[in-house]
Order: sequence, then C-alpha cells, then structure tokens
Amino acid sequence: MNKKVILVGHFGVGKTSLVQQFVYSKFSEKYLTTIGVKIDKKVVEFDGHQMTLLIWDIAGETEQNSVSKSYKLGSHGIIYVFDLTRPSTYENLSGQVEYLKTLLPNAPIQVLGNKKDLLSEEELSSITETIDFPFKTTSAKTGEYVEDAFIDLSKAML
Amino acid sequence: MSKGLAFDKLREILLEKDWEEREEFAQKLNDLDDQLNSRNRLQEKIQPILDNEREDLRAKFPELFGPQITESIRKQISESQDEVVEALYPILGRMIKKYITSEIEKLSEKVDEQMKLAFSWEAWKMRIKAWFTGTPQKDLIISKLIEPKIEEIFIVEKQSGMLLGSFSKNHSVDQDMIAAMLTAIKTFVEDAFKGETQELDSIDYDNYKIVIKNFKSFFIAVVTSGGMSMAFRDKLDDTLLDFAEKVLKKAKDGDDEVKQESITSGLEEYFDNFDKHE
Repeated sequence: MNKKVILVGHFGVGKTSLVQQFVYSKFSEKYLTTIGVKIDKKVVEFDGHQMTLLIWDIAGETEQNSVSKSYKLGSHGIIYVFDLTRPSTYENLSGQVEYLKTLLPNAPIQVLGNKKDLLSEEELSSITETIDFPFKTTSAKTGEYVEDAFIDLSKAML
Repeated sequence: MSKGLAFDKLREILLEKDWEEREEFAQKLNDLDDQLNSRNRLQEKIQPILDNEREDLRAKFPELFGPQITESIRKQISESQDEVVEALYPILGRMIKKYITSEIEKLSEKVDEQMKLAFSWEAWKMRIKAWFTGTPQKDLIISKLIEPKIEEIFIVEKQSGMLLGSFSKNHSVDQDMIAAMLTAIKTFVEDAFKGETQELDSIDYDNYKIVIKNFKSFFIAVVTSGGMSMAFRDKLDDTLLDFAEKVLKKAKDGDDEVKQESITSGLEEYFDNFDKHE
C-alpha cells in the first residue's frame, strides 16, 4: 500500500530535519533551504500492516495559499510543521490548517510543533497555552515523537 | 721480604682479577672499534635489520601515510587546477579522440553496409515503405543504424505521483521514487510556464529520451535509448493508446494491488517484444 504524504509549513521550521530523522535517523545543525520539493521513501509497519510512504518535503511557505498547490494535490496525508520558538510560524495556525483541509478534504492532518529541545519545560508550557489548536510537540534533533508522528498519520490514512 | 716487594705481591693478589677483566674489556673494545670502522662488517650486521624495517614499512605504507598523501594530492589539485587541467588535457583528449574514432568507425561500417544495400531488394522495400507510410527514408535508415529501444515504462497517477504499474528490462532503480520525481519535474515545468493546457511531453538526457504520454488522470513515461525515428514514435504512440484503451480502462476499478498487477502484466504483454518487431 503506497501513500503520498506532504510536509508543509513555514521555511526553517525543520520539515527536512524531521524527514531526515525519520528516514535516515540523522540530524544536522546545518540549515539548507529546500528548493521546490524533495522526495523520500520509507516503509512503515504497524498493527500487522505494511505501508510505503512517499514523503514530499515541500519548500517552506509563509502562507499555504500563496504558492502553487500542484505538489500538494493527490496527497493521502499531511504533516503541518511549525517552530515552537518562532511565534510567526504558528500565528495563523487554524487558518493554514483550514486551507489544507479545503484543498485535500480526505487527507488526515498531523500538526507538529518542532524544536522542543530548544525550550525549557516552563517555556514549553507557556507557549502551549497560547496556541489555541491541537498539536503534538517534536524534536527532529532528539527524535522525540518523530517516528510516532508518521506512524499515527499512517494509521489515520488506512 | 722488603716492604716494597710485599706491597707489590699484595697488589698482585688483590688486583689480578681486575687486570684480567680490563684486558678482556680492551679486547672487546678493539673488536667493536674494528666493526664500527669497517663498513662491510657494519653493513653485514645492520642490513638484515634494515631489510626487515623496510619490508614492514612497505606493508604498512598505505595505512600509515595514505591519508596524508591523499590530503596532500587533494590540496595540490585544488591549489593548482590550471596545472592539473594542463597535465590531464592531452591524456583525456587522446581518450576522447580514441573513443570517437572507434564510434565513427562503427558508424562508418554500418553506413557502408547500408550503401551496399542501396540497390538491393532491401533498399527498394525501404523506399516503398517510406512512400507508403509517409516516413522519411532517412528516418528509416537512422532507425536501422542506431536502433531505438524501450528501457523502462512507468504508468503514474497524475496528481499524487503514485506508480500504477511499470515495465523494466533491468529493474535497476527505485520505481516508486522515479515515478514521484517525474511527477515533481512535470509539475514544476508546467507550473513554471503557467501553461494551463500545456503539458510536458518529453525529457532528453544524454542518449536517453523520456517520452511522456498524458492522459486525464495519469501519464505514461517511456524511457527510450538509441535514435528515435518518426516510425518508432508513431508505433509507440499507437501502442500506448491501444494499451491505455484496452488495459488501463479495464484496470481502473479494483483495489491498488490488483490494479498494479494487471497493469504490469499488460505492459509485459504489450512491450516485451516491442523492440524486436521494429
């Protein structure tokens, strides 16, 4: 069973790092901006199912509706990533997710707040309180909730 | 016994052993002096040790000095690129010249063969075929010289980039990834030039050409090598349309795995002997 998953969100939020951590178990401090799209593949297994994920890591956009939707079409699942340390990346979170839901009504969405490793417990809880939208926290650096995020999305895509 | 005589006797008794040892040392010292100052004798002693060390060093040389030598060569090349190019240019030039010469020889042989056939029945058949099919005779000759071949075929869902089925002679690449990348390239080109109804229909690289046949919800990418003649392209187009009509329409319904299996077996049926018929 093959599924197309897209990773979207502002530039520099760690989309490529999340894919690198998930597919290759690697993390790099170097920042290289993604041009256009980068595609990776990983086979996941859960609850006796096997699923091949074709992961489209799409170049960062400040507004989801400001650029071409072509890369997003036909997706079976969406991972929307924002940076917990940069409020501008989650200011209009519900609007961005709403736009994606309209574009791909049948695709489940996983919203991830990345770079958890850069925050203390107190900072994290105060930021979480300000975001009025359900999301999960991750760290591409430590790998926390990275694999689980993809597995949870795969289960929702079944 | 006088006092002096008694003293000498006593000294002789006490120091006799020391004198013997001194003489022995002096002898050894003389021998050593002799060995060190005689080149041949010294060489005889040291040579086996040096030989051993040299063999040992030779065996461990890549391990001990490899990284330093590599680094030094890399540095030299990056600091003196012009000199490197100048040094390599004649060698590469000769290699390229040799390769081109051999390819031209092969081509020339094939042209000779075709010329010999110019007034044969084969040639007349080709002229008649060209006249009937409307294909220029040069295309028929070119296709005979560098025969086109189908290397791989991918049937890809248009928006998602998912592979619906494939045909390959060597299975050397990850076909899911290729299908996705081809979709991304197509999407990029079509977006970049904002052609609402225009679609990418071929990609050329080196000796290969990817022919893309666009349909409503999917596209077929055919990777070909060799010289693409009009006749080959026509035959390919006709076969792809026939395949799309007969196989893809039937396979449309059904789950993903069944669909992929029936498309792949259909591709094999249609294209396994496609080149041989040409």
